[in-house]
Amino acid sequence: MKNSSWLIRGLLPLFGLALFLIVWQVVAGFYNPVLVPSPVETGLALFFLAVSGQLWEQIHLSIIRGLTGFGLAVVVGTPLGLLIGLNTIADSLFRPLVVVLQVTPLISWLLLAMIWIGFSKVPVFVVFVTTMPLIIINTIQGAKSVDRQLLQMAITFRVSRRRIIWEVYLPQVIPYLLAGLTAALGTTWKAVAMAELFSVNRGIGAGMAVARMNLETAALFAWTILLIGLGLLTDRMLTYLTQQKLTHWK
Amino acid sequence: MIRFEHVYKTLGKTKVLQDFSFSAEKSKIICLIGPSGCGKTTILQLLAGLEQVDAGRITGTEGLSISYVFQEPRLLPWKTVADNIAFVLREVVSPDRQQELIRKYLTMMGLYDYWNNYPKALSGGMKQRLALCRALAFPHDLLLLDEPFLSLDIPLRLNLVRQVAGMWRNNPRTIVFVTHEIMDALLLGHRILVLSARPATVLDTVEIQIPLEQRDIGKEPLSTYYTRLLTWLKDESVSKADSTR
Repeated sequence: MKNSSWLIRGLLPLFGLALFLIVWQVVAGFYNPVLVPSPVETGLALFFLAVSGQLWEQIHLSIIRGLTGFGLAVVVGTPLGLLIGLNTIADSLFRPLVVVLQVTPLISWLLLAMIWIGFSKVPVFVVFVTTMPLIIINTIQGAKSVDRQLLQMAITFRVSRRRIIWEVYLPQVIPYLLAGLTAALGTTWKAVAMAELFSVNRGIGAGMAVARMNLETAALFAWTILLIGLGLLTDRMLTYLTQQKLTHWK
Repeated sequence: MIRFEHVYKTLGKTKVLQDFSFSAEKSKIICLIGPSGCGKTTILQLLAGLEQVDAGRITGTEGLSISYVFQEPRLLPWKTVADNIAFVLREVVSPDRQQELIRKYLTMMGLYDYWNNYPKALSGGMKQRLALCRALAFPHDLLLLDEPFLSLDIPLRLNLVRQVAGMWRNNPRTIVFVTHEIMDALLLGHRILVLSARPATVLDTVEIQIPLEQRDIGKEPLSTYYTRLLTWLKDESVSKADSTR
């Protein structure tokens, strides 16, 4: 049993990845590398980006921008979500705005931000406005799903309001908040690259813009792989935190 | 003395209490027995201040420290067994006393070995016992018990009834105990109120003079009371709320 689960969890994904690389290599063989570069060419492009020092420089800028926008969205979105979830007046007042924020296209934010705040801050702003609704909406759901019976219990035993918020509300909201954070992190790296592509000349998105202009499709693939890696890494870290630290009692 | 004076209570569109009155003597155990859905839980919620009366008044609960065993265990799943009890004690007793109370009641209910487990590791009956531990450990003047032995088998139920009776003998406090088990009411109640179906009215009040420690369900004179209560509860017109729910 143990062996078969190890096989399924450890070996099969690797096998799937190998299969994907083989198919990619075969398909690339039929096309010009400018159209479809092979995995080997992409790997080489990645290597050249790394040795030229470009990779670290661009990646760290994108990470800082992404995490700043994401962090701001968490700091603003979580309390706002709690407020809307717990207070009917705040719900009526802010919920339509949150929906407007959520359905506004990314490109509109991008162009407006370039006009309003200048090019350098656009990536942080775009990440902030696109991830915040995800965090707010999940936090609202969490706050609304709080078990009223547990609240009644705490009130009967005269537990203080502060402790009720920390020890009864928050543990029930956290799983929803984490779901929101996961979705928001997924959006963060896409939004940051998109914003960098249009607004600045450094960062992963800017690197992609240069690669596109020079028809360096292998480099474009390399940047894409880096973005995917960044997304996977942060998602794994959040999942670890969720399972090990915050919802271990489930 | 706790008094319900001509209390009216409607929940949604359902009239639960209509001109309902009763009194509970201080430091006595009063049992409310009646068909499911007749409003017994609402009476406890009104006593606990979790619901407000529509008309009439409740006196004698002002300033009382109230402890409550709900029909469901209502445990915090993210806290361990010991922490679930500590949760209600933290603001009312010192840390040393907390540990002492937790150890005492977990041992009494046979849960001490599980002190560091999360509620998901407990069976339904164990969760209910933990809820009972929490309520007993909390310093109280009035204890509200809402079918606390519902999900337990008979030997365990009898054991817990005896534990509660023993605790009351050591430190008599007012207990309002809701049940639909005649046996539990007979073993624990000083006064038993038989309630009708919704809206609840008091059909009969049975005062039991036998001391708690001398009560034996199979013997006279307790069996006489049993017959009297059973007559009410067998009556279909009394329990009609069940079929109309």
